[in-house]
Amino acid sequence: MMDLNTKQLKRNAFRVTKVRGYTASRIRVPGGHMQSKYLVMLHEIAEKYGNGTIHITNRQGFEIPGIKFESMPEVNKLLQPIIEGLDINQSDKGQGYSAAGTRNITACIGNQVCPYGCYDTTNFARKIEKAVFPHNLHFKIALTGCHNDCAKVRMHDFGIIGMTMPQYDKDKCVNCGACVKKCEKKSVNALQTVNYKVERNEGKCIGCGECVLNCPTGAWTRSKEKYYRLTLLGRSGKKNPRLAENYVKWIDEESIIKIIKNTYDYVEKYIDPNAFEGKEHIGYIVDRTGFKEYEKWALKDVKLPEIAEVSTTMYWNGIKY
Amino acid sequence: MGYSLNIDNMNTVIKKWSESYLIYAPKCFEGGGTFSDTDVVRYGQIENVEEIVFNKKSDFSFKEVLLPISETLFYFTEDSVKEADERKKKAIIFLRSCDLHSVRRLDEIYLNNGFEDYYYKRLRENVKFILLGCKSSFENCFCVDMQTNKVDSYHASIDYDGESFLIDNKCSDFENDFENSFNKKQDVIPSYVTENHVKVNIPDNITLDIIKSKMWDEYDSRCISCGRCNFVCPTCTCFTMQDIFYTDNGKAGERRRVWASCMVDGYTDVAGGGSYRKNNGQRMRFKVLHKVYDYKKRNGYHMCVGCGRCDDICPQYISYSNCINKLENAMKEVNEIES
Amino acid sequence: MKLNHNEYIPFLSEIKEVIKHTDIEYTFRMSYIGNVKPGQFFEVSIPKYGEAPISVSGIGNDTVDLTIRRVGKVTEEVFEKYAGDKLFLRGPYGNGFDVENYKGKELVIIAGGTGLSPVKGIVDYFSQNASEAKSTTLIAGFKSPNDILFTEDFKSWEKNMNVILTVDSAEENSKYNVGLVTQYIPELKFENISEAVAVVVGPPAMMRFSTKGLLDVGFEEKNIWISQERKMCCGIGKCGHCKVDDTYICLDGPVFNYTKGKDLID
Repeated sequence: MMDLNTKQLKRNAFRVTKVRGYTASRIRVPGGHMQSKYLVMLHEIAEKYGNGTIHITNRQGFEIPGIKFESMPEVNKLLQPIIEGLDINQSDKGQGYSAAGTRNITACIGNQVCPYGCYDTTNFARKIEKAVFPHNLHFKIALTGCHNDCAKVRMHDFGIIGMTMPQYDKDKCVNCGACVKKCEKKSVNALQTVNYKVERNEGKCIGCGECVLNCPTGAWTRSKEKYYRLTLLGRSGKKNPRLAENYVKWIDEESIIKIIKNTYDYVEKYIDPNAFEGKEHIGYIVDRTGFKEYEKWALKDVKLPEIAEVSTTMYWNGIKY
Repeated sequence: MGYSLNIDNMNTVIKKWSESYLIYAPKCFEGGGTFSDTDVVRYGQIENVEEIVFNKKSDFSFKEVLLPISETLFYFTEDSVKEADERKKKAIIFLRSCDLHSVRRLDEIYLNNGFEDYYYKRLRENVKFILLGCKSSFENCFCVDMQTNKVDSYHASIDYDGESFLIDNKCSDFENDFENSFNKKQDVIPSYVTENHVKVNIPDNITLDIIKSKMWDEYDSRCISCGRCNFVCPTCTCFTMQDIFYTDNGKAGERRRVWASCMVDGYTDVAGGGSYRKNNGQRMRFKVLHKVYDYKKRNGYHMCVGCGRCDDICPQYISYSNCINKLENAMKEVNEIES
Repeated sequence: MKLNHNEYIPFLSEIKEVIKHTDIEYTFRMSYIGNVKPGQFFEVSIPKYGEAPISVSGIGNDTVDLTIRRVGKVTEEVFEKYAGDKLFLRGPYGNGFDVENYKGKELVIIAGGTGLSPVKGIVDYFSQNASEAKSTTLIAGFKSPNDILFTEDFKSWEKNMNVILTVDSAEENSKYNVGLVTQYIPELKFENISEAVAVVVGPPAMMRFSTKGLLDVGFEEKNIWISQERKMCCGIGKCGHCKVDDTYICLDGPVFNYTKGKDLID
């Protein structure tokens, strides 16, 4: 006779599967990057308690299916070195994950590998993870290194896009035109040649770094400070799937973390008390309260960089049924 | 005269020098690299010896000190011209053997080759060179084959053994500075490399027939004509004139010259829209033959000094030294066609 | 080291006269005192736009003629200048033609389009001193009757030498010959072709076919001279743009004997 609290096991990052008696263990990997030794540990769990397979999840985690419910404590024990190794906040040691609502924070490979990456995406993902996890609220956060948005962050509640503020040393510019051509072809056409030197349209520039990447003399360099674009409240799902809208351009790390944390307070205040399983996309809540109310909460005690540009109107479209 | 100096004494010398010289050396610009969170080593002014990067090859050469990337030649109005002022101070440049050899190439073009270049000369004659010894070869260096691994024409040399700075001074202007601040007198021979990992073979039977070789074709698609190879090269000397205007009516402004690259579009454009060497392979051929063939025909020695920076920097991983090593077969290829 | 002359600083020269040839081609007669040879060039600068190398198309006692075609933005500005205005010049640069090479010889000058400018000094010389050459023939080709340069000069040249003026195309019943300059080469008659000399200047393809035509009829390579056009940014062997093989067109040229010029492959 099996007597299970499904609500509890879900919060412990196990799943109620279609196969009666069997669960699946969900492993979070903030920033989607880890040492390969953890794969060996996952392999052990799958072999010993699962059915020998591992699913790579959409959110850059792993799911080990075919685990008997009664093995959950054993699996949690084996998960412990992974949880600790990936520095996941945990309330009870040895008891597995302390929450599952706030999903794994995903990231493209970022500047550790990718030439386009404007920052270390994994590192920032881990920082956010430390700030927000464990939490049962259904938050989806994703990071991408640059405006190519390979991580498709616009389908998340919080999308973080890396930017660099291009620094131009005109005395090093030889007017080869590489930056102007590449900005036009690959980016937003924010550069033009004036008097053999380059002028940057600050309003247009999205800080993608193409000018820096293509400058053969180092006339264009990256800003010391790292900047981001924060996009808000994209989502997939049954009701009104929609892409995130641009919220702040040239925002800094600290402000992003603060805004996300503030949003938890806002959701706790305004979430539909009758939401199914306590789960409601933030966007629906904002639709209900209006964006201005959300913004009041989100920007509380946030000190944006001087150059930050905040969108004054936010309007989401998307598919409506 | 040879000396050994500790850091403090070396900095005393540098401080003394900075009273009358601008001191340029390879230094690390943190975050200054092309990619995020990468550094660049290039020439800049230093105030103390710790700023000098001893353990890496600089990404760009010293040449921007003698040939500024963008240099104002004169200011003009509608009917008058005023020459740009020269640098107020003399300069000291810390550089490696290959780069010091390249100074001869710069001199060849700018002091000889027809007219004397006024602007180069006035910088050049106020420069002293301090040789940075090379204990071991860096990646892509091939100075030994280009016979630029050793050099005598320095004013002083410097080697850092992890504790002390070893100096060989040949310049009477520096003598007092070292005599006042040394820890030890000792014989010093600047270190130099005797072997590189990269070897090049420049055949001596090159003729212009090599233009017909198929070896150049692969570069048509591989090369992106960005010009990085030229801009990092310590021997490339080309520039383009530019007129800059302060006013809309164009009656006042300045004429500059900026570095030019024979790999970049526009280099050969003539009035009316004509241009030469449209394919990147032809540009590669033009550049490579200049470095190891036609410069020598004109001046008696090779232009290339084997610093390997072009190989270090190419974003498409085109190796110039590897290209040189194809020349022998290319000559065989074209000779066979001829016969 | 003693600092020498700063060759980059231009000097002011007054426009004495503007001669309009076509809508886009004018000759500016500039005040200039000094040695200058046909085929040499000046760097002409308009502060608003920059410099352009312009070959000398005529030489007076205290003037030089600079024939400028309105191509590119530099030369467009020059066209707004009038007699009495001034231009900044540097030069003359380059080797130029040496008329001594052609004296006492059967001389053929083949020019295409604005290529007539650099050789015009030689044409003028042997027009004024007809007896100094054994014979002089000028074959000048232009795209159309509207493109013909130096129309006034042709009138005097025709009196003193054999002139073939041809256009690539023209309306029917035009008074001009229609055809490429090359087609007239086989028709030329020489007393001693191995001693005959030729000067060829024009667009690259025209020069290639003309020199080939001359060689085909029996000219010796050493008796042909050509003038090369390249981007000459500094004019003084520094900027590198005009280098071909080991040759700096601005210093060693732009005039080359064909034995050397034939190897100038880009």
